[in-house]
Amino acid sequence: MPKSQIVEPARERKTGILSFGEIPLNQYKQDIVREKQALGSEALLGIYEDMLLIREFENMLQSIKTQGSFQGIEYDHKGPAHLSIGQEASAVGQAFLLGVDDHIFGSHRSHGEILAKGMSAVRKLDDESLMEIMTSFLGGDCFRAVEKEGSGTVRNLARDFLLYGSLAEIFGRENGFNRGLGGSMHAFFPPFGILPNNAIVGGSADIAMGAALFKKINRKPGIVISNVGDASMGCGPTWEAMNFASMRQFHELWDESRRGGLPILFNFMNNFYGMGGQTAGETMAFDFLARVGAGVNPQMMHAERIDGYNPLAVVDAIKRKKTLLERGEGPVLLETITYRFSGHSPSDASSYRLKEEIEAWQAIDPLHAYAEELIDAGLLTEDRIGEAQADVTEAMTKACRLASDLRVSPRLQSEKIGDLMFSGRRKESYDSTHESELLLSAEENPRVLALAKKSRAGVVDGKPVSKNKVFQYRDAIFEAVFHRFQKDSTLVAYGEENRDWGGAFACYRGLTESLPYHRLFNSPISEAAIVGSAVGYALEGGRALVELMYCDFMGRAGDEIFNQLAKWQSMSACILEMPVVLRVSVGSKYGAQHSQDWSAIVSHIPGLQVVFPSTPYDAKGMLNTALAGTDPVIFFESQRLYDLGELFEKEVPSKYYEIPFGPPAQRRVGKDITLITVGATLYRALEAADILEQNYEMTCDLFDCRSLNPLDYDLLIESVRKTGKVLLSSDACERGSVMQDIASNISQLAFDHLDAPPVVVGSRNWITPCAEVESDFFPQPSWILDAIHDRIIPLDGHRMTTNPTTGELLRRQRAGI
Amino acid sequence: MAVPIIMPRQGQSVESCILTEWKVSIGDEVSEGEVLAVIETDKASFDLESTSSGQVLALFWEEEDDVPVLANVAVIGTEGENWEEFRPPKSGSGETPIAGEDKDSSPQEVSLVTEESRTPEPGELSNGIGIAAGISPRARKLADRMAISIEDLQGTGPGGRIIERDIRSFAKKRPRLSPVAAVMARENAMNPPFRGSGLAGMALGSDMRRPGAIEGAEVEPVRGIRKVIAERMMKSLSSTAQLTLHSFFELTAVQVLRKQRLEEGKPKVSINDLIAHGLLEAIQAHPEMNAHFLGDKMAIFEKVHLGVAVDTPRGLMVPVVRNASDLSLEDLSGTIGKAALQCREGSLSPDDLTGGSFTLTNLGMLGVETFTPVLNAPEVAILGVGGIVLRPKRLDSGEIVFADFLPLSLTIDHQAVDGSPAARFLQTLVDHMEKNPGGKLSQPKEPQP
Repeated sequence: MPKSQIVEPARERKTGILSFGEIPLNQYKQDIVREKQALGSEALLGIYEDMLLIREFENMLQSIKTQGSFQGIEYDHKGPAHLSIGQEASAVGQAFLLGVDDHIFGSHRSHGEILAKGMSAVRKLDDESLMEIMTSFLGGDCFRAVEKEGSGTVRNLARDFLLYGSLAEIFGRENGFNRGLGGSMHAFFPPFGILPNNAIVGGSADIAMGAALFKKINRKPGIVISNVGDASMGCGPTWEAMNFASMRQFHELWDESRRGGLPILFNFMNNFYGMGGQTAGETMAFDFLARVGAGVNPQMMHAERIDGYNPLAVVDAIKRKKTLLERGEGPVLLETITYRFSGHSPSDASSYRLKEEIEAWQAIDPLHAYAEELIDAGLLTEDRIGEAQADVTEAMTKACRLASDLRVSPRLQSEKIGDLMFSGRRKESYDSTHESELLLSAEENPRVLALAKKSRAGVVDGKPVSKNKVFQYRDAIFEAVFHRFQKDSTLVAYGEENRDWGGAFACYRGLTESLPYHRLFNSPISEAAIVGSAVGYALEGGRALVELMYCDFMGRAGDEIFNQLAKWQSMSACILEMPVVLRVSVGSKYGAQHSQDWSAIVSHIPGLQVVFPSTPYDAKGMLNTALAGTDPVIFFESQRLYDLGELFEKEVPSKYYEIPFGPPAQRRVGKDITLITVGATLYRALEAADILEQNYEMTCDLFDCRSLNPLDYDLLIESVRKTGKVLLSSDACERGSVMQDIASNISQLAFDHLDAPPVVVGSRNWITPCAEVESDFFPQPSWILDAIHDRIIPLDGHRMTTNPTTGELLRRQRAGI
Repeated sequence: MAVPIIMPRQGQSVESCILTEWKVSIGDEVSEGEVLAVIETDKASFDLESTSSGQVLALFWEEEDDVPVLANVAVIGTEGENWEEFRPPKSGSGETPIAGEDKDSSPQEVSLVTEESRTPEPGELSNGIGIAAGISPRARKLADRMAISIEDLQGTGPGGRIIERDIRSFAKKRPRLSPVAAVMARENAMNPPFRGSGLAGMALGSDMRRPGAIEGAEVEPVRGIRKVIAERMMKSLSSTAQLTLHSFFELTAVQVLRKQRLEEGKPKVSINDLIAHGLLEAIQAHPEMNAHFLGDKMAIFEKVHLGVAVDTPRGLMVPVVRNASDLSLEDLSGTIGKAALQCREGSLSPDDLTGGSFTLTNLGMLGVETFTPVLNAPEVAILGVGGIVLRPKRLDSGEIVFADFLPLSLTIDHQAVDGSPAARFLQTLVDHMEKNPGGKLSQPKEPQP
């Protein structure tokens, strides 16, 4: 516990010099005879064959992209192809020793890594396992396409399968490894330990770190490699991931049985260019990329530069680093230098580098250099090279022919993408073979005991129960979380101040007593790594509950939420599940960067479920639902609500229950107007509803839009058809808020029934002012009444205090405010 | 002793008055009869006089407040007296009585409303009135279902938009419709009566009427010639100053002429033809009668283009005989006869119905004695001919005999022609018809100065 870690002034203020150790550069000494003895001749030849296969694959794509044909097969590939010609040795050398339990995550330039890791698995798995994988993957769709023309051994068939599955994926075909939904930059194949590649530079770093976190926490075998490029060192999330993976708590605070660093290798494939920007000389400061390791932890991340032009140097490095990682001494930083002969993409004319530079690297082309070494060692002949070349060309031609043929390889009907946006399953636990580890049983948990004394109803005998005695919204969060912690041994929760503090808003108070460190811990203030690691944790097979203390911090985790969390289920054709719940607390009183409701932003992103419960009953029921599902859920909470008791349901049940996502909750039943709110605005709308009833004899249907995506409009439309009038309000800034979207849909779904246009009352399109004048910014009951009076139905005798006129609306829009 | 001043009742129907302006302040010394304030009703403005002398202790209302009559508005007394008992009860209409020292500590803080805060009228961007201000889809749908015509509705929604409640409130003012009636309303645009003949006043199909229908009457739309006539007549009466002069002429000479012509085998001419001819002759002596009055100018025609009113099944038509003053009696008779025939057959060219300078109309054959013709504006005169009447006349010998007379009614536009010239014109015509019908005007008269 941090209280055990005293920050001693004497130590911190001591004079001294901090020194760093040495970082090896290309220390591997080639000895082919020794390697032959250690690895065997076949293995050394296999390395050559795999490099040749990758070269052929990339040359084929180069030919398709630039000439529209390969070996007489004409095809127009419109999508991307970021080729790794020249980088084959680094990929094959890395994959050589890895087993299928060792997982690699890649980049946009990872075709070579996929094939290398795939061939490594093909060489290691027995025939039975290979057949089982091939015939069961995607229901055998991919296998059937190659099976008919299958030749020779199961291993040959598996190679055909790997080539075809990868290429069909790149060509966007239904038989591709990911149904064609991933494509070149996102292709992967989990059964061979190939996890997603990533089109976002550095995108794999924090995801891979999360996968390593899963392996460590759930004691799974194998290591995780994050393959990113040298340019990724310019990305914040990469640094966040390296720091997160190196946290001292792994060594200082976690249980004895799980002590030690994460089993992750941050491998930087350094080809010296990020697109056209030269990293070492132009866009970075490191000079030698491996230097960065020295800045991260006392172990300097065991950083090293290795020669990725020599496959055996890479094999050697992976062997040593894997051992380190398995001993719990991770993380490791590896700089694997290499060079791409081809441009960033086929449209790149390499105008930023000299022809002489390319030629100099081509002169030592690892494919030829390695072949010569083998010839010199008597392991390879020119004839054998010719045979091997003919073999890979034949295999590649077949794969290309099958993958480009629309009869063999149709495209997925686009409409089916909709069915693949969410996995939509329910899982009690992601590892039913293990009991959940608890330090203190639920019966003994101090908070559970305290809650037993609270009133689970917010109103008793018509009077509201005092805050000290009522079961609050934050308690509902606690109950749902604690329930799932007891059911699912893979569940972890982390974020900023999640453990001893009990969360900034005391939702987790009491969890510390029951949960070991590895299930509930404080993360660094690294929002990108918090969300990114949760993504990796889920992709690897666990359930993660992570938290952003303020909604405003979502910006820090933008890519991780928008591109990673949201997309991996669909980009994998739901082969992968994403059981991640991201709790996001919407603030107030803390000004412009701590008070924003950004529900619209995540609602806009396909692939996310978005909910915003506003009562304790809903908070518990919906968090239960989220934590039992398989889809990513953005779970909004409001800091205005944490201390509220239940005012609508009779009480918050102590037993487990789930509230399905979709239908809004009806808080009032009336006949004259429909009010729709999101989040804490509900309570101000209730005040407005009371005034409408008392002063203007109007009764309201009041809906709490607790689920924003999915959203079941049936109840809303039924109500609007009845009342003909609808006003929507939320604390989000009015322009572009999710309310506008709902209003627009209502206009279309109930047009003929509308007696006035749907009116949206949101916060002003300003920054949030100081707490004392927040009522000038967030919607108030009077704003709602004024808007009704002016735009929907004049209220007899009503005096407006705001200016909701359409003229003012025009003015504001024109002014951009 | 403190005395309250009340808001006087300014008439039986007045319930409140606006307090427009205070003329005194708290602490002022006033005497009885001194003006305390100016008040006004919707009809007039009055001075509110003090009914007592002393110091102004309290003023209970602010300027522009709507004060109920008989409510206390102020208290007059001596300094230090308690006036609290006179404070009027707070009214429910939102006005905030103010009083003496309490003014500053008023909890209402109404004055805190900032300048920017304003109370715009609902729907500032009004689109117009009636249907022009828009109708909500819901109201339109409801109107359609209830078979209510939205054209004449006035909306009460923002900016005058017709909204659901406007349809419902309209529907309350008419009976429920039977299903058949509803279909008739929707599909044939028919309206129910104020109260239908079905149960509880429900309108049945048999009750449904065309829009504008009048009970017990067959209502025909006004269109075609009727519409033209209606417009012309209305315009004539509204744009001219019509005066009708009546006279008679003895028919004996005309009867003699017609008999003579018959014996001589000449073509038959009607009395009307002879009057038309006589008219043309008389106009030669009174050209100002053959004119158009055009507001700021007069057009006096050289020739007479005679309009002759003809009764046709489609309505009154007035074919014009162009250059009638050039025609002989026989030609005139023939032309009029032909035009009348064409009118009745409907074969007359529209061109022949315009461009007249003087009109002749005749109802004599229908038994009418005299009538007041309506001008065919912008012509300045029209002559109406009535039916033959038998009147006594005194012979030169003093003997009284009976003779046939024909009444003439000359309507003039008094804007263009005065009564005396018109009378002289009529006199000329009578004289001519009695002395030389069908012939030349014997004594052309110069218009009198």
